[in-house]
Amino acid sequence: MDSANTDALFLRPTDIKAALVAMDGGAVPVAGGTWVMRASLRGDSNDQAFVSLSQIDALHEVAEGEDFLRIGALVTHDHLADFARNLPELGALTQAAGMSANPAIRRTATIGGNICARGFTAADLVPALLALNATVEVHSSSRQDTTPIAEYLQARTQRRAAGLLTTISVPRKRGHSAHARALLRKAGEYPIANISAFIDMDANNTIKTVRIAVGAVEAMPKRWHSLEKALLGQPFSADAADMARDLLDDFTPRDSVDAPDWYRLRVLPGLVRQAFASITDQSREDA
Amino acid sequence: MAVTFTLNGQQRRYSGDPRTSLMDALRRDFRLTGTKDVCGEGFCGACLVHIDGVPKVSCLLPIGAVEGADVTTIEGVGDLGTLNPVQQAFEDFDVVQCGMCFPGMVMTLSHFLQDNPRPSRDEVKSALVGNICRCTGYERIIDAVMSLHNSAEGRK
Amino acid sequence: MNDLKETVVMNLPRRDARDKLQGRTKYTVDVGGLEMLHAALRRADVASAKIRHIDVRAALAMPGVHAIATAADAPGLHGLGIADHPIFAGETVRYHGEPIAAVAADTLTQARAAAAAIVVEYDDLPAVLTMADALAPDAALVHPDWRNYEILFEGGARGGNVAWQATVERGDTDAAFAREDVTIVENVYQVGRQNHVPFEPRAVTAAFEDGRYHIHTSTQAPWTVKHVTARVLGVPDSAVHVTVPAVGGGFGLKFDCSLEPYAAILARKTGRTVSQVNSRKEEMMTCLCRENADIRIRSAVTKDGDIVGREATVLMDCGAYGGEQVFLTTMTAHTLGGNYKLGSVRLCTKAVYTNTPPNGAFRACNGVYNTFALERHTDEICAAIGMDPVAFRRRNVVGDGDIGATGQVFRGNVLEPMLDQLTAKYPVERRSGTLPDGRLYGRATTVGTWFIFVGPSAATVNLNADGSATLVTAGVEIGSGTMMQSLPQIVAANLGIHPDKVIVKTADTDAAGRDLGVGGGRTTVSIGAASEAACAQVRDKLLGVVAELLQTSADKLVLSGGRVEIQGRPGSGTTIEKIVQQAETSIGPLSGSGAFTAPGERSMPGCAAGHFIDAIDIPVFAVHDCEVAVDPVTGHVEILSYRLVQDVGLALNPRAIHGQIQGGVVQGIGYALTEEITINSDGAFDQTGFETYRMPLAGDVLPIEFDLYEGAPSIGPLGTKGAGEVPILNVAAAIGCAVSNATGKSVNALPMTPPRVAALIDGKAPAPEMGHIDTVWVKNLVRS
Repeated sequence: MDSANTDALFLRPTDIKAALVAMDGGAVPVAGGTWVMRASLRGDSNDQAFVSLSQIDALHEVAEGEDFLRIGALVTHDHLADFARNLPELGALTQAAGMSANPAIRRTATIGGNICARGFTAADLVPALLALNATVEVHSSSRQDTTPIAEYLQARTQRRAAGLLTTISVPRKRGHSAHARALLRKAGEYPIANISAFIDMDANNTIKTVRIAVGAVEAMPKRWHSLEKALLGQPFSADAADMARDLLDDFTPRDSVDAPDWYRLRVLPGLVRQAFASITDQSREDA
Repeated sequence: MAVTFTLNGQQRRYSGDPRTSLMDALRRDFRLTGTKDVCGEGFCGACLVHIDGVPKVSCLLPIGAVEGADVTTIEGVGDLGTLNPVQQAFEDFDVVQCGMCFPGMVMTLSHFLQDNPRPSRDEVKSALVGNICRCTGYERIIDAVMSLHNSAEGRK
Repeated sequence: MNDLKETVVMNLPRRDARDKLQGRTKYTVDVGGLEMLHAALRRADVASAKIRHIDVRAALAMPGVHAIATAADAPGLHGLGIADHPIFAGETVRYHGEPIAAVAADTLTQARAAAAAIVVEYDDLPAVLTMADALAPDAALVHPDWRNYEILFEGGARGGNVAWQATVERGDTDAAFAREDVTIVENVYQVGRQNHVPFEPRAVTAAFEDGRYHIHTSTQAPWTVKHVTARVLGVPDSAVHVTVPAVGGGFGLKFDCSLEPYAAILARKTGRTVSQVNSRKEEMMTCLCRENADIRIRSAVTKDGDIVGREATVLMDCGAYGGEQVFLTTMTAHTLGGNYKLGSVRLCTKAVYTNTPPNGAFRACNGVYNTFALERHTDEICAAIGMDPVAFRRRNVVGDGDIGATGQVFRGNVLEPMLDQLTAKYPVERRSGTLPDGRLYGRATTVGTWFIFVGPSAATVNLNADGSATLVTAGVEIGSGTMMQSLPQIVAANLGIHPDKVIVKTADTDAAGRDLGVGGGRTTVSIGAASEAACAQVRDKLLGVVAELLQTSADKLVLSGGRVEIQGRPGSGTTIEKIVQQAETSIGPLSGSGAFTAPGERSMPGCAAGHFIDAIDIPVFAVHDCEVAVDPVTGHVEILSYRLVQDVGLALNPRAIHGQIQGGVVQGIGYALTEEITINSDGAFDQTGFETYRMPLAGDVLPIEFDLYEGAPSIGPLGTKGAGEVPILNVAAAIGCAVSNATGKSVNALPMTPPRVAALIDGKAPAPEMGHIDTVWVKNLVRS
């Protein structure tokens, strides 16, 4: 195979513009590669050229501002968990990034890949970003858009990889957050269901702000609006798991080889309890 | 343009399709068969190599991505003829069975113990989430690891 | 030779560890070279169809393609008991994944592309995907031509979709069940398949040279590969030569011939060496799994706890071809019909064809689920008659002089003292309850019987001039360590040298005599016995030479520490090297050969029909106990403790046995709790890789506490029994019984995944549908 050909098969642009040109030319964007490299196992053909994004420095940056954490799309789970550890309100992100998959995959898989992998129903970072009200920046040849992540996920199901997701912005608001996963074994597998919760309480420990996102239960992660509504204004000590048990109708759970639909719902209240317990622990650490 | 990288301390070039997995290139083209092809999905750890000192899943890494990187395989661990401490502990405890998972175990644990010299059993088990073994049932592997720093929890 | 027991027992470290740790070991998958061609199979993607048309011309013309093989190249049928199995689907596809053609090309990518380009046209046929479907009246026949198949072993009734039937009838069960003083307990059980997942998939390289096929393969049974390859290719056995390097796991999957014939044919057609390796997806989807099974069992028990009658019907799913299940129908008698004294017993076991991937042998085979069913049933009996489960077992386990299901007479009291040993060490306080964290607690104690798979083995021992010895057998090192440890230990002890001086030749069918294969605990026993016999010949020759030299009689001489000495006078005599060098000039190089086969334990005449083994020569017993905590919401089962006593005869290498116990129990935990295979409407496995097939990881296991029980009678060398297989036998039983105790619900299906346990706790897991096994035992029989 001569080297002129191989150049065209694996492009390594150093800026976003060049990456977009390559994508317009039909090349598949590759971040960590852990999803793309399994294409043949999914029955997808994999003869397109790769455009590796790893040479674009801006995509690797994590910038901590007073109001935002800006995360480049190529930041790995491992690096993100390390960084976010110092930001107490982002506990959901730290935990999600720190317990996904396995240690070696966490060093390679990226936040951009977690969001953009098409058909990936069990992402861990996405519900955390939903609960934290993250926005994503998407570059296309003509424009740059900043969209709330929920909207981006919705829109993405309707169009084919329009543009390149470059940055994730996570607002830093007062509060605590946590992530919990339900597995069949102890670790090392995709979750059957997962939950991220963000809570802000007032001085009397009354819930002022609450956002709960649920992943892996349906094809895409989404917010648990009925539970949020029920918890708003309640004391934090209220039995959220108990309340959750009556509000499972928000979901149409998916059936899969791994677990039946009803089981995904069954484990949700327990996950709420776990997430809230973690938030309790985190609040105590503050005190 | 070929992919140029350091492989077990030596400068090497790969002129094939850069989308080829590093694992396939190592086994097929560089004939370093110590890195094992077991699951092809990133779950088992048998294909782990060190990229710039850090264990990564070589079956899911396109070789184009290691341009300029420092790659170490199991063959590059320790000196010829000498086992590193993790390998030596496994030999001393006589834990190897079929052997296919052990290169990956060595790659994970050699790195893990650098940053965590006195782990608990649970910490070792967490470190091994991405290393599956079908033969040994794990606990004797953990015993060997725990013996490395005379931890009270280790036992022969 | 009792003093041999002192020298033979040691924790000899395994000599292959270093290379394995450094990644230097060359397994079959690692063998390569630029001259090698690569093979890929074209596999059917339908479960049941007539092949209307195959056209390989376009594929043959593709880049890099050297040859394509199809059914015409492999006319022979093979099998166990019946020859029903072609290696290619010729006219008929019987399972999803069945090979239709094999392609050899310069690269694997090219081979796969060409395989995909072969034109295959199917006419769909009805498929029976479950045993219930297969046994329904007017079910489509998987083998419409079953009557014309060659019978390789007489005795099994067959018919329709029943590939083989084995029965046991001893005593009058009708009378037993009709008694007024009995409680009748009846249960049904249903279990799924288990995939071995050896880390090295099935793999082979083959060459055709000097008119013979040279096959280098990852197998447990080189002589089986030799024979089956020859048979399906229609050539003499002597035309096939098999060699085996280190094998990266087998667990029974590699006990059968698999990819070798395809590579052999392609090697002949191309004139090149051909490498063929299953992808992990192929390995998962066409695994020769531990079979799924359906069981109905009932027992008549007096209030004192005597089992006066037991009847059971077991359906074993063969998949599309009979394979190992035909043979394994024999083992119901010794497992489901084992453990306990039975006043009367009737067992019917049917191996049933379905249009699914063929099943095979996996570590303790049907013993694992038969023990699960039996022990669960036993606990149900105890609950019904109000008897303590351990007391019931103590009363009823077979002991010295008791007869088994087929009337064989057991020797020695083994199970009872083992049970006592465990319960004395770990007294039972309670079997159920609730833990402080709200989880449900359960504990159970179970017993099990398995066997050592004896049969032909051959060995030659060459004594070398430097005082080393070479052991030549067809044994293969698959990971358990027997070839690295037990065998050199046995040879060394018999020759008075250190095991490090025993060279163990890797398997080569041109060098060693016939061997049934590695597995079934037989390596230590059968190959060990053959090796001992070979050593005996070497000793005789060696001592004969020395006796003459020293003018003394051979029975006054001993081999010890590398020397031949006069008994009682250490330091006398001379070194083995000197004798060998002397002998080579006077009588020639010293070697000995030995053989072993099944001695043939006797059963009661007329009890067993369709059995390959009427009575087991070397039973192996086990007692397993575990405690569990069950989460009532998530259904997770955590094992809090796992203890066992294993009957080993003599522990040749206790540390190696520890490794087998820890590993075998963990495989059993996977079988019991996490490893599930489901088959979809295409007749294909849903679990195609490690994402969906869940094996235990490090965090899912715990250290197994064990005691080795020595001294039970065994015809194995030095009284040993194989130890590698039996650790898995009782695991599903122990966990199943403990979970039943914890939840207060009857566990009657495996695996006990969290969703299934959650449903069980909720009362939403009804007993498995078992309408296809008649409650009247005789109505299940196939009459040939």
